[in-house]
Amino acid sequence: MQMIEMILSPLLALIIGIFFLGLSRKIMARIQWRYGPPITQPVIDVIRLFSQKSVSHGKLFNLGIIFSLAGSLVLVLFLPLAQICPLSGSGGMLVILYMMLLAPLGIALSGGESANPNTSIGISRKFILALGYEVPLLLILLALMTHYKTISIVHIVSIQQNTGWAFVSLPLLLSGIAYVLILPAILGIRPFEVVQASQEISSGPMAEYGGPFLALATIQHALSLFIGIALFVNLFLGGAGNLLIFFLKMLVVFVLVLFVNAALPRLRIEQAVKYLWRWPTLLAFIGMIIVLIVRR
Amino acid sequence: MDRNQLIKWLKAPAKMGHKYSLHAVYFCTGCGIIEVPPSITARWDAERFGVLPVATPRQANLFLITGYVSVKTLRAIIRTYEQMPEPKYSVGFGSCPINGGMYWDSYNTIKHLDKYIPIDGWIAGCMPRPEAIFVAVTHLWTLIDKDMADGYKRYRDHYQAYRANQEHALGKLEWPPLFSNETKS
Amino acid sequence: MKDPLKDKLTSAFDGIQIQPADRNQISITANKESILSVLSLLKSNGYNHLALISCVDWIEEKRFELVYILSAYMEKDKHFTDMEKTNIILKTSIYREKPQFISAIPIFENAEPYEREIHELYGIHFEGHPRLTPLFLEREYKTPPFRKDFDTRKYVSDVFDPIPFVGKKADKR
Repeated sequence: MQMIEMILSPLLALIIGIFFLGLSRKIMARIQWRYGPPITQPVIDVIRLFSQKSVSHGKLFNLGIIFSLAGSLVLVLFLPLAQICPLSGSGGMLVILYMMLLAPLGIALSGGESANPNTSIGISRKFILALGYEVPLLLILLALMTHYKTISIVHIVSIQQNTGWAFVSLPLLLSGIAYVLILPAILGIRPFEVVQASQEISSGPMAEYGGPFLALATIQHALSLFIGIALFVNLFLGGAGNLLIFFLKMLVVFVLVLFVNAALPRLRIEQAVKYLWRWPTLLAFIGMIIVLIVRR
Repeated sequence: MDRNQLIKWLKAPAKMGHKYSLHAVYFCTGCGIIEVPPSITARWDAERFGVLPVATPRQANLFLITGYVSVKTLRAIIRTYEQMPEPKYSVGFGSCPINGGMYWDSYNTIKHLDKYIPIDGWIAGCMPRPEAIFVAVTHLWTLIDKDMADGYKRYRDHYQAYRANQEHALGKLEWPPLFSNETKS
Repeated sequence: MKDPLKDKLTSAFDGIQIQPADRNQISITANKESILSVLSLLKSNGYNHLALISCVDWIEEKRFELVYILSAYMEKDKHFTDMEKTNIILKTSIYREKPQFISAIPIFENAEPYEREIHELYGIHFEGHPRLTPLFLEREYKTPPFRKDFDTRKYVSDVFDPIPFVGKKADKR
């Protein structure tokens, strides 16, 4: 049973992630009064990219992108998708925290090998942005762990199934709001699209990727979209009893985030970090103190 | 998607992928770049054809040269074209890359671009309207269907001749040859 | 233009001609020996911005005409004065055979790219210029291409037209 789940869970994540990519292009087009591409456009792109040949810049260039994709795929195994959670017994949120850094690390290793200046700027921005959102994320997760007295994400979901969503329970409200504020940064979309800013640093770490490498990077991007939203749904919107409701919850969150993406321009990296370390961190900190007081 | 399309997809998925996912690198050489923003934004929306502007030549497979080509830009054009992964399609936009246009007797402008890199299609006019880009894209689809958009193959087959022409126009080239000597002619 | 400046110019330099060229434009024609001192006098009298240096090839009269366009920076929190509206067009002629001239860099430092461009396109050598290297052109030309005796059609038919077409297209023609 666990073996089937091990295969099923990344597969579902891939399908939902690629669907989200297509949906995002279509919805962005409709917001901008365009007709937009067909919703299968990312699949066509990935097929085209896999059929092309690309130059390689060395062994680490090839390995890094695979490393990044593998990190994302393993991370999916630790996330409960409705009832499917192959590695529920081990790890918990601490493992998720560590694994979330694997994907940027792989991209950084791979891009650093190509020695393109735009790539190095993109990588440094990626890590600075990660530094920006990891601080409030850590505080939020601490508040959650303290409130539910467990580090297992499956337990958190099952407690929320009985007692109601964490997002609307009063002691965790501030933490939830802080998570909403950093969600665009975790997903890497506007206003925090500093890493892949194609207009200023020609798509940053992706600048030297072509052909299969770009296809893998696209799949990794889809997976990271899935992970960011699934984590939010699990931690604050109570997970779900079956896959359909889980998917619907993710869809609602994703579309709301897309509206933010369509409405706001891109921040500079220092503005982004200043913002991330001010309001979300403050809210998360106050939220954690409230949790500690309520618990006593 | 009708039945014929589905059969084509099952028969040759790679070809259909190249057809419907043309990521374009626009080379802003001249006045033609004015026509590109309306064609990719809300007025004409190139994305519904699968044409998406990308930032680097590594990710692209459609090369749109918009406007006149001076000798100095020819150097950049050749480097960009050689960096794109195969299969790649190039389209000359406007009358200047075709035969010089109004710069036909200029001391510093390249007259026929297809002497230096292979071109799969031309869009004539000075300037062509943005609709012409979409007409060109649909023509390119039929060319790809019939395997007639073979500019990258011609470049590989006649690389020595192309390289000689490039050196004739630019003097010594500072980058090594893309293909080694054993390819024919 | 202020009258005192006109008096100063006419009294200091021989053979200087001053006439209004257009609305808010004054044309000054000076000898080539006195051009640097005219420039520094104009600069010290308020025309402190060198907008452009250009060149005209008068092939029948066998001379190059160098044109310096000067204007004045507007001072902050002030309305336009007459002087700030005015452009000065300072002209001088040099011989067309082996053209040489003095660089204006000691007076206006931003003359550097303009002189470099004129050297490249007209072949005028500026003494005292730190680097007269090519700025725009990619190819080398025997006659500088902006001179009137440079035959562009002949150049194109000599250089670009013999380059052959490649592949099937070459067989058709």
